[in-house]
Amino acid sequence: MSGAAAAARKGVGTHFIHGLLLVGFGALLFYVTRTVPEMHGGLWTITAIGFLLLAGTLLSELLAPLKLPHLTGYLLAGIASGPYVLRLVDEQTVKSLSPVNTLALSLIALAGGAELDLAAMRKSARSLGWAMLVQCVLVLVVITGVFLAARPIIPFARTLTIGPLIGVALLWGALAVTRSPSATLGILSQTRAVGPLATYTLSFVMASDVVVVTLVAAVLGCVRPLIDPAASFALDSFVTLGHELFGSVALGTTLGLVIAAYLRLVNRQMLVVLLVLGFGFSTVLDYLQFDALLTFMVAGFIVRNMSKQGHKFVQYIEQTGTVVYVVFFATAGADLDIPLLRALWPVALLMAGSRAVITWAGSRLAGRIANDPPVLRQWGWTGLVSQAGLAIGLAVLVAREFPAFGTAFRALAIATIAVNEMIGPVLFKLALDRNGETKRTESPSFASMRPPPMEG
Amino acid sequence: MNAILLLMGLLVLSYLGSFLVGGRTVRGAGLPSGVEYVALGFVLGPQALDLVGGDMLASFEPVVQVALGWLAFSVGLDFGFAGDKRVRVGSLVLATFGALLTGAAVAAAVWFTLRRLHLGLATKEQILLAGGLGAACSETTRHAVRWVVERYDARGPLADRLNEIAHADDLLPLLAIAVLFAFEPTRHVAVKMPLRDWPAITVGLGLLLGAGAALLVRSDLRLEDTWAVLFGVALIAIGATARLSLSTLTAAFFVGLAVSVLSRHGRELRAMVAPTERPVLLPALLLAGAHLDFQASPKLAWIAAAAIGARLVAKIVLGWVLALTSKPARKAGGLVGLSLMSSGALAMSIGLVFALRFPGAVGDTVLVVAALSATVGEFVGPVRLRRALEDAGEIERTAATTPAAPRATA
Repeated sequence: MSGAAAAARKGVGTHFIHGLLLVGFGALLFYVTRTVPEMHGGLWTITAIGFLLLAGTLLSELLAPLKLPHLTGYLLAGIASGPYVLRLVDEQTVKSLSPVNTLALSLIALAGGAELDLAAMRKSARSLGWAMLVQCVLVLVVITGVFLAARPIIPFARTLTIGPLIGVALLWGALAVTRSPSATLGILSQTRAVGPLATYTLSFVMASDVVVVTLVAAVLGCVRPLIDPAASFALDSFVTLGHELFGSVALGTTLGLVIAAYLRLVNRQMLVVLLVLGFGFSTVLDYLQFDALLTFMVAGFIVRNMSKQGHKFVQYIEQTGTVVYVVFFATAGADLDIPLLRALWPVALLMAGSRAVITWAGSRLAGRIANDPPVLRQWGWTGLVSQAGLAIGLAVLVAREFPAFGTAFRALAIATIAVNEMIGPVLFKLALDRNGETKRTESPSFASMRPPPMEG
Repeated sequence: MNAILLLMGLLVLSYLGSFLVGGRTVRGAGLPSGVEYVALGFVLGPQALDLVGGDMLASFEPVVQVALGWLAFSVGLDFGFAGDKRVRVGSLVLATFGALLTGAAVAAAVWFTLRRLHLGLATKEQILLAGGLGAACSETTRHAVRWVVERYDARGPLADRLNEIAHADDLLPLLAIAVLFAFEPTRHVAVKMPLRDWPAITVGLGLLLGAGAALLVRSDLRLEDTWAVLFGVALIAIGATARLSLSTLTAAFFVGLAVSVLSRHGRELRAMVAPTERPVLLPALLLAGAHLDFQASPKLAWIAAAAIGARLVAKIVLGWVLALTSKPARKAGGLVGLSLMSSGALAMSIGLVFALRFPGAVGDTVLVVAALSATVGEFVGPVRLRRALEDAGEIERTAATTPAAPRATA
């Protein structure tokens, strides 16, 4: 049953009560934060997690009749609670929620890898290959062109001379190539969609992570001499990249085999194991300077394809992941810089709109070349619009590498990503609904209770 | 040791804890009070090996507060139930009377000891210390009776009665700490109100949030959403009360109680939450152990002796009252009340929240004495309980020397 059907079943009365309770919980926190304004620190961070979890869950239920994805509800709950609207969660608290994001990203990557079926990927290799090539090249080139054309309305670009301008435009193009594994997984986790569109989007988005990392390293290496005449083209970054990629794949493979062995031999307390992986293993990867997303994705892929434990593993992650996704996306909502978005929305909208159009065009072109089924040709682009953490990470990297314009670049990037983050999931959910891929049974209700995660 | 290593250690402990409740009963695995984890924490803590330093303990304070709050929520959810069965009214009355008697006796004994010792504590601090110890020493751990009953395969009315009492004596100590927390001025709170209102607000807030959670889980939520509601509401209760400097334990307890009473899915919710208790408890006990400071007060031994002595006497008296109402208890002899000497999770939780809320002599003394009381209870409670059940004919005397064969989870 789809989310909308379940929502309809619940009735107006239930939604009204849920709405009232949400307002009540919000009012309580509003009162408490105004009565005792000083408190910061860990405990309030944990309280913020609780409120974001509850508000995200309730708001997503309330929005379900509008056929909006849960993820949109989580984001809206975060925006409403965040530092720019109700200030139930302040900026410092949002920053201190980063460990939750680390945990969420590890679960997202594990789940993403574990959803990738080697046999299915082999079948659609031609389609994926063409889509990857066309999307990367077309988006990079066209969005670079759009940035150059839009120079007069981009404040920080107006002052740049032609060489640095091309360099910055290329960086913007590379940023536009990034997709959002978290949004894709979030939607698929909610809808439990099955079908060609779901499989294609997931495979594309997860595989694009590797491509994007490589592409960004290449673009950074190339544009540096353009932006900074004193710098020269260096291959050092590729050595680092090679170390990062191969190391991540090797460690991910080992981790995947260990998880598979654990599932086979012990198969208990996966919640705690996932927490250890999310917090502890992420720290190790950070120390080794490996790509956490890639490592966990490879680990999930190995569990799925090199053992018989894949489905079990996905089930465990779904059980624990849902709660983490709510907090992750609600935090992302709370982190959205609303004043910045208000200031930059015309440029951000232009950039996001042109990216969506070119992604659509690329999807049509690649679909025609690869002779894809109509569903992919028509709707394949919808899952590629979302952007989130990966793109923000890249914007932060650019800001650090190029301090002269980096801050302004990052601000515009964040505003554009915000637009994509809001629109992308809605488009993807709509496409999945339209193609009947969300008709699979919904996740179990409370009445048909399974053993709790801690037991598992 | 850095924070990530400590976190990993706690997660490993949590992992082990979950195994203790996962497959078989608690029987044979660890002590009922979990005091061995307190001892481990003490050894690792700043007063012994200093592997877990004071700064790190401070950085883990929020985690501790949440863990303790979640335990209190779990206790509230389970309050008045022994396993699947509702506790009888008689047991509830006896349990409440027992908690009141023990708490009052301990508080009075500590109060008079403090007056004689002339420690230089202000009257308010003396009230907090005596009251805190009364609250921490009044309960009997819920695991104690189950531990013996399952270890020796006991069956009978006395075992049932004692088990029910152990499951229904948590209300008063938690109310007491709500009152005691109101004594300390809430420095940051802009709203000023009379002392008597703060405990009422603590309880009211817990009940209101619990009622909200019960309304939410009433509808046909997905299982993940049910977890989100329970976690969310519990964390809001803990955070809001902590921010207002109220008792997080009391509020969380009443959230659990309201959910249990008002939700039509109470049984399923208890089944959901119960397995999380042990994995949360063990790390909390470890951190409580690391907070122990035996230099808390120069006359600590006297205070501890007064508290534990009063507790022993009060439990003996409770046993006599029990014997008046129950024939099997009469058969078990005059010291049957000592069967209820084991204290554990709740006592340590109260001790730890006192240590965090009133750092210094008051809080640290409450925590240390709670740990000592749990240790003494561990030596007295299970032994006396086994003897009482033997005398009542609810354990075969031959079986008493050898633990029964493993049995499936209750």
